[in-house]
Amino acid sequence: MKQKSILLVAILALVTFFMSSHASSAKDDFAVGSTLDNFKLSDTNGKEQSLNDLKGKNGAILVFLSVQCPVVKGYDERIVKLAADYKAKGINVIGINSNATEALDKVKTHHAANYKFPVLIDKNNVLADKFGATVTPEMYYFNAKNVLTYHGAIDNDRSGKNVTTDYLRTALDEALSGKAVTKATANAFGCSIKRVEK
Amino acid sequence: MNYLTNRAKAKKVLISLGLILVFAQIFAGEGLAQKRKAAPKSAKRQIVTKKPKPTAVSLQNSNLPKVTQINEVALRKLLKREDANAKPLLVNFWATWCDPCREEFPDLVKLDADYKGKIDLITISLDELSEINGDVPKFLAEMKAEMPSYLLKTPSEETAIASVSKSWQGGLPFTILFDGQGKTVYFIQGKFKTELLRAEIEKLFNINSAPEVKLNRK
Repeated sequence: MKQKSILLVAILALVTFFMSSHASSAKDDFAVGSTLDNFKLSDTNGKEQSLNDLKGKNGAILVFLSVQCPVVKGYDERIVKLAADYKAKGINVIGINSNATEALDKVKTHHAANYKFPVLIDKNNVLADKFGATVTPEMYYFNAKNVLTYHGAIDNDRSGKNVTTDYLRTALDEALSGKAVTKATANAFGCSIKRVEK
Repeated sequence: MNYLTNRAKAKKVLISLGLILVFAQIFAGEGLAQKRKAAPKSAKRQIVTKKPKPTAVSLQNSNLPKVTQINEVALRKLLKREDANAKPLLVNFWATWCDPCREEFPDLVKLDADYKGKIDLITISLDELSEINGDVPKFLAEMKAEMPSYLLKTPSEETAIASVSKSWQGGLPFTILFDGQGKTVYFIQGKFKTELLRAEIEKLFNINSAPEVKLNRK
């Protein structure tokens, strides 16, 4: 009886450990320089879209978004401007929503009200897990060959009032002019992606 | 005979399980009732929507917990454990707009009460500076939080995040435990599991008390 209790406690402890370590153990295996295979996800209208169809001639910026996150709201205007500015330069923005807690109808309404670029639904956070993405907003720029060239924050200031370093724009401009990207990663600050419990 | 003994044993086990379930339901019910009592909707209404008289406002504000503004330099200093007798340090980064942060806060308050004097526990809010006398202390008061509380105002979140831990990817909440020497022993981005965090804290005391155990054995 005692042995059974100990075994039960041990199993419970192991389950708890694996559940809690899941989010933080989503390692950054997908580092800058990695190549992303084409993938397909449904958009907010339920239509299947692929990376290769949506990206521009100079690649794509994948941005992990959230309907509720105030940090995303703070960045929305800058994301919209970024999308418009770089669409003209052959880089298309693709929104990704991996939050298990955000219902499709809300994502759809929010998308229609805020963005002109497509937003794809990452059901079961498969893509977020592949990238090791943990926050919103978090940016991934893939060049024309789908090679990850920049990962992280948009800039250094979520409020937008004191932006001194435009990490993403600098990286995009360097990549577009054929230069090596001087700062290819910058920690993104924001809301944790709410993953499904697996 | 054996069959009868096994049946008797099985009966005992079933009765025990039944009793455990009954007690668990009673305690869970009480816990729920206490939670409702501790954080009633009316209390939130009282703080947020009820417009008190001007005198009541100043009295209420003076009773709110103090939140100290810090920058990156002060943050690094806070996290350092330079004193030889420094206690372990548990730091929780949070914000009022972060739902998981708010959800785990009662557990943090409980940990603070349980380990008072044994570890240092501080919370660092990443809310906007305008909330330093607003939503941040109001929430802390609602939570009955007594630990030292700070609000980080930094020109670069990226640099601040990197100065705390290379493993912090920038999401909230973020909880990190340092031992007395300032070495990171545990961290988690996202909601912490109380029992797991408690076990990590306990490990620190077990390590510290290990030599005494050996001496007693001799």
